[in-house]
Amino acid sequence: MGKLLEYMKAYYMLRRHGIRALDAKYVSSAADAIDFSSGKPIVLKAISEKALHKSKNGLVKLNLSTERDIRSAYADLESKARNLKPYKILAQRMVTNGLEIIVGGNTDPQFGKMVLLGLGGIYVETFKDFALRVCPITRYDAASMISQLRSHAIVAPDPATEKMIADLLLDVSNMLTKEHGISELDLNPVILHDGTYDAVDLRVIE
Amino acid sequence: MASKYADLNPMLQPKSVAIIGASSNPDKVGHVIMQNYINVGYSGRLYPVNIKADGPILGFKSYKSVLDIKEKIDLAVIAVPAPVVPAVLDECGRAKVRTAVVVSGGFAEIGETALQNELAAVAHKYSMPVLGPNCLGVMDLKSRIDTLFLPTFKIDKPQIGGVSFVSQSGAVGSVVLDLISHEGFGLAKFISYGNAAVIDEADILNYLANDVDTKVIIFYLEGVKRGKEFIEVARKATLKKPVIIIKGGTTEEGSKAVHSHTASLAGSAEAYHAVFEQFGFIEAEDLDDLLYFAKIFDTQPLTTKNRIAVITNGGGIGVLATDALYHNSLRMAEMSKESERKLRKAMPPIVNVRLPLDLAGDADDKRFGIAIETLSEDPNVDAIMALVLFQTPGADSSVVAELIKYGTTGKKPLVVVSPGGSYTAAHKIMIESAGVPVYDSPNSAARSLAALISYSVYLENAAHSNGNKNNGQDKETH
Repeated sequence: MGKLLEYMKAYYMLRRHGIRALDAKYVSSAADAIDFSSGKPIVLKAISEKALHKSKNGLVKLNLSTERDIRSAYADLESKARNLKPYKILAQRMVTNGLEIIVGGNTDPQFGKMVLLGLGGIYVETFKDFALRVCPITRYDAASMISQLRSHAIVAPDPATEKMIADLLLDVSNMLTKEHGISELDLNPVILHDGTYDAVDLRVIE
Repeated sequence: MASKYADLNPMLQPKSVAIIGASSNPDKVGHVIMQNYINVGYSGRLYPVNIKADGPILGFKSYKSVLDIKEKIDLAVIAVPAPVVPAVLDECGRAKVRTAVVVSGGFAEIGETALQNELAAVAHKYSMPVLGPNCLGVMDLKSRIDTLFLPTFKIDKPQIGGVSFVSQSGAVGSVVLDLISHEGFGLAKFISYGNAAVIDEADILNYLANDVDTKVIIFYLEGVKRGKEFIEVARKATLKKPVIIIKGGTTEEGSKAVHSHTASLAGSAEAYHAVFEQFGFIEAEDLDDLLYFAKIFDTQPLTTKNRIAVITNGGGIGVLATDALYHNSLRMAEMSKESERKLRKAMPPIVNVRLPLDLAGDADDKRFGIAIETLSEDPNVDAIMALVLFQTPGADSSVVAELIKYGTTGKKPLVVVSPGGSYTAAHKIMIESAGVPVYDSPNSAARSLAALISYSVYLENAAHSNGNKNNGQDKETH
């Protein structure tokens, strides 16, 4: 209880339940990262149990696409993470534009697994604009979660986006219901872009 | 089986009642309870029990123990000091008493958890439905049952009706009962369940959902004991009848380490709101809401659409009502051409025929009658809000008759708004007793209409998804 699931394990768990997360892999050298990038923008993150706030500690390097940028970012991460051993470096594809939402899961002591949807990123704490339901949810529940948000016109401006978010909520509810070992989940943010979505940061808590 | 105790009829409609702790001493709770039974005219058999009894109590033959009574007992009301309750309850079990209400306090609410567990163990040993401890007990006006220990002169008693009221708290219970007595709607059953050591929220909700005398349930809740079972019961109950609920107190699980954004947002209070929303409850924000909502659900038909026709005999209050509609996600209806033609013909030139329809300060029963009749037949109107200012010269009891005539047809919801003093209050009672809800402000009327509509929409969607179960998600198995 209360243990963070290792990133790639969380990634594969989501995949098994049909939930899209940005492509990612651990890299063991700058060359490895360059290979993963193959010219497209990536993010490098140093992941260590000793550092909970990756971005605060400068352990996240954004928007790297050239070989030079990747090499220097990799070297910088290695030096910063030296006293955070053991650590790993994660390479992840990058999405630059899109609306950020949060999709999450929690275990209520009375009612059990719950699924959450909110306007994401920096807004979630400020506006506390979110909807919550007990798992498993129905398609009607998913639709009513979206329409309940004050920001529903921003989050789901058209029927296609609404359906995509509803599908995601149903998948997350299904995963929370089936995976008895997990107690909490943050997909924060999930970025909506180009008619699809990607979970960008994952926290699955056992 | 989600509900442990499905049938509480022997408790609410008992043919024989033992009052354990009954006393001739007016200072004792057991005395007040006994006196209440006599006052409300309970027609079943009554057996006062007191270990110190020698001679009759309030004119009834008394017993030292429930075991000495040779008749079958449907209900034992227990009002003895907490430490002896388990032993007394065990005697009830041995005497094959069918149900018990423990009004005594001094259990988990003051930290005496072991004593409460002892009580629960005795109840389970005999599979006996036990209400309480630490509760006001039950009231069933139809069967003239009243286990409350409130002196009758201090609290007004509601009339008989279709609203049943459940309260975890005795204090909220007695206040709301007192308030209900001054509303136009009546009470079917009142259940105050206190610490819920044996019978809990899920049992009571399940019982009332299946109770033929109960049309509407109002529920004051502080927390539930069995979340999953409560949901299972609620899912069915809210399809059968409206359940208006208010949650008091929010306890945060301080000990739980919070790791995620989600967990910090989705606290206990939010989880309750989510459950209410998801499973078809009508959530009240305060005690006023509880009463406002009860009276519209008790008398008016459902509607899933939100186009409201506002009729008034005071322009300014019509403007306030328009604001109130939009604040509550309702809309002002636009009347049909036919209604417009009809009303233009019937109304004097000073009446501007558009909604909100201002019938002018001299509007009488004739004007109100034609307006309500026309709009209640208009396909563009889903519900009517009639603002009747009894301060005006034309409004009197003949207007009341028109409101009752159309407000009790059950075709479209009609609510009346009549703010005012004693002259208004007299008319309000007439209208409400006939079955048309009256509100003091446009906003409370609009809130109530919005609650009616959102429940209707829930029912419609539930009916729709029941016929279309294939996209349901996998059920959790335990």
